[in-house]
Amino acid sequence: MTVARFERPMPGQATPVRFPAITRAALPNGLALWTIGHTTVPAFTATLLLPRGTVDDPPDRPGLASLTGDLVDEGAGSRDALQLAEAFAQMGTQIEVEVGPDACSISVTALVRFLGPALHLMADVVMRPRLQAPDFARVRELRLTRLRQLSRSASTIADRAYISAVFDTHAYGHGALGQTSALEAVTLDETREFWRRAFGPRGATLSIVGDVTASDVSRTAAHIFAEWTGSGDDLEPAAAPRVRSDPRILLVDKPGAAQSELRIGHLGPPRDTPAYHALVVLNAVLGGQFTSRINRRLREDKGVTYGARTSFDFRRLAGTLSCETSVQGNATASSAADILEEFGTIGREPVPDEELSRARASLTRGYVRNFETAGQVARAAGQLAIYGLGDDVFDDFVPTVEAMTAAEVHAAAATHVRPAEATIVVVGDAATCRESLEKLDRPVVLYTPEF
Amino acid sequence: MQVPFTKTTLANGLQVIVHEDHRVPLVAVSLWYHVGSKNEQPGLTGLAHLFEHLMFEGSEHQPDGYFGPLQEAGAALNGSTSTDRTNYWELVPREAWRLALWMEADRMGWLLPALSQARLDTQRGVVLNERRQSYENRPYGLAQFALMAAMFPPAHPYHWPTIGEPADLEAATLDDVTAFFRRYYHPGNASLAVVGDVATDAVLREVEHLFGAIPAGPHVARVQPPGADGSSARLVLEDRVELPRLYLGWRTPGLFAPGDAELDLVGDLVANGRTSRLYKRLIHDRRIAAELAAGQTSRELGGTFQIIASAAPGHTLDELEQAIHEELARFAEEGPSDEEVNRGRVQAEAAFVFRVQSLGGFGGKADQLNAYNVHRQAPDSFDADLGRYLGATRETLRDAAARWLVPSRAAVLGVVPLGRADGALPDARVLDRAS
Repeated sequence: MTVARFERPMPGQATPVRFPAITRAALPNGLALWTIGHTTVPAFTATLLLPRGTVDDPPDRPGLASLTGDLVDEGAGSRDALQLAEAFAQMGTQIEVEVGPDACSISVTALVRFLGPALHLMADVVMRPRLQAPDFARVRELRLTRLRQLSRSASTIADRAYISAVFDTHAYGHGALGQTSALEAVTLDETREFWRRAFGPRGATLSIVGDVTASDVSRTAAHIFAEWTGSGDDLEPAAAPRVRSDPRILLVDKPGAAQSELRIGHLGPPRDTPAYHALVVLNAVLGGQFTSRINRRLREDKGVTYGARTSFDFRRLAGTLSCETSVQGNATASSAADILEEFGTIGREPVPDEELSRARASLTRGYVRNFETAGQVARAAGQLAIYGLGDDVFDDFVPTVEAMTAAEVHAAAATHVRPAEATIVVVGDAATCRESLEKLDRPVVLYTPEF
Repeated sequence: MQVPFTKTTLANGLQVIVHEDHRVPLVAVSLWYHVGSKNEQPGLTGLAHLFEHLMFEGSEHQPDGYFGPLQEAGAALNGSTSTDRTNYWELVPREAWRLALWMEADRMGWLLPALSQARLDTQRGVVLNERRQSYENRPYGLAQFALMAAMFPPAHPYHWPTIGEPADLEAATLDDVTAFFRRYYHPGNASLAVVGDVATDAVLREVEHLFGAIPAGPHVARVQPPGADGSSARLVLEDRVELPRLYLGWRTPGLFAPGDAELDLVGDLVANGRTSRLYKRLIHDRRIAAELAAGQTSRELGGTFQIIASAAPGHTLDELEQAIHEELARFAEEGPSDEEVNRGRVQAEAAFVFRVQSLGGFGGKADQLNAYNVHRQAPDSFDADLGRYLGATRETLRDAAARWLVPSRAAVLGVVPLGRADGALPDARVLDRAS
């Protein structure tokens, strides 16, 4: 008994994932209607996804998509801004409008007894936003102030500098809020025009996940959204960004900063890359988890950071590989060098079998955790809609990752991890870190990102 | 809201709660130790949180860290430390629940043999970097420290931040940390919840097997804070920020005390979200504020109620302070409307339902069962807790605001851009940024 007591139990086999069935319907106006049963609590999540995002911002109007998204719930249908918020609040909820790089999502999570009224209000927001001058003026002012506030946040400065370096002039290269200069120039008519062109039923998907039946959802939603007109696909599709090498160190000087924010990486492949699963495994080895190489090295071996992680941000047209961390000032250059060295090692040497199998195991065994709540299932369904993936993509994840070999991961690393091309962003105290950064043998450029 | 459970207490004092939920093939394990920064002493602050870090580093039979075997088993895992308690949790696929329990048992019973000076030194460095990242290097990051220090006298454990003072963290020795473990990390000071796709009998047998031999520890007496009333200090702190921000703080009833739930609702009605009175007045109508938040923070030794607002460009903290007090006075005089009361109730009902969507993690069912068990000695307090909100009326909400949110009892802090402290807030003392 004593021996058994101290013997660690085995973790068991991976639980197969069966994504719940999606019942699909389409309205005559083109709106796709998806219903997914998920009955853990008497609630639902309704998400309307429009395949338009910050990538559709005109070149001289970074922030237009997000500003429009911010305005649609500032008064719609028969209600002004505060009345609309009150109507949602009387159902214990609020509407969330989120404008990402590739898509705009308008969602509501509420108790099932509010399904009909919540969809009615949601329809007002997408079909009948008021887009009035006083609301426009107020929202724009708040966003300008928000930009000012963010211009003091080291992590936001680093993120901005990083994506604008990696994506250059491509529309992926700016954050959702855009820039002060564009926000000051934008007009109410431009937001109305963007709404007209981007908010339409064709290409849009309404998914409802929760304690609901497809027949109830169809009846309710078909009635509410039937009169939605407008094409919604009246925008030129954006082109993919080009890969280019930019091995500079962009140093944003923050005298007296308590730490240095670091971003290191380069352009990556889009979501539909054939290397997707290999890159997911690679990331788990390199920096995607607590036990990954980079976090172990910087946090657990050296104690110079609270944490360091890498990620592939897979977008529709392209993505990024990035390592992000915040380190103590005197460890800025050494941490950057450590990260680049790990980037190099994973491209040079195949991942040892034991390390690879641990990474695969954490991904496959843990995968089932991604589908616990209605919100998680709704987000997963959203991925299918945004990236045009097949319904079996979630069910296939575990067997595909289980079969991943060291050679496949190595090939993906050699192609998609390129330390020599990586850009390094440092937001920190130049007096503390500049001298040692100069020794990394890359051009150090003082840089100020635009807010 | 029914969350059927079985509760038992082992001979060594460990309280165990099991709740079966077979709707998803997952199991949540949550372990609360009833120790937080409230159990620390001035000069040795930050120990409870530093200790949380050490708990992931290894134990006698799992010497090389806690993340490896658990991540490999598909677990999500984390821990957190507050003023009142420390929690550890794993969310695992159904097959791995024994592993999660084994890991928790080993660090409860056999942590010290794996604890070394080197581990302490590394995690001390990590925590100092966590402090820099989460507080020192963030705009307004030191405001909460200053406000809490102003609201609670130096001998009150809520006076110091949970993450600790850097000098104390630097000074903590292996002996300090070891003594802290012996005093607080034992079965009698812990509550274990196992929730999800499990069989209760099997869990209880396994818990007895894994935890039963861990010796009972010393009794932990309830912390008795000094009874001094809240201070009404007026302070200004300079920081690397763009906009001046106002913090108003009141000492209020603690967790589950009369008035606690009412103040939680008052916070929403007065200052949270677009439906709140102050949003309408400060942001929507007059446009003198750019950011606004409020709320009752319910803690074991007493609550705090805060209202936080940033001045829109061209406006002053003085304007904000006056407008906020006027709106509070109106609320305390007239109380909320029926529509506002109804909104508060349905929002509470929805929040309770949404919270039990998750088995584990921060705030999921397992965490909530432990919270009710530790603070109310009744794991199934969901309905009793929700009942506090559903039972609130125009009168009880009005009375809570009138009794607790009095202007003269507020601690006031202004955080302003560097060099702009003078005159930023009438009658305020300027704080030294280093303090």
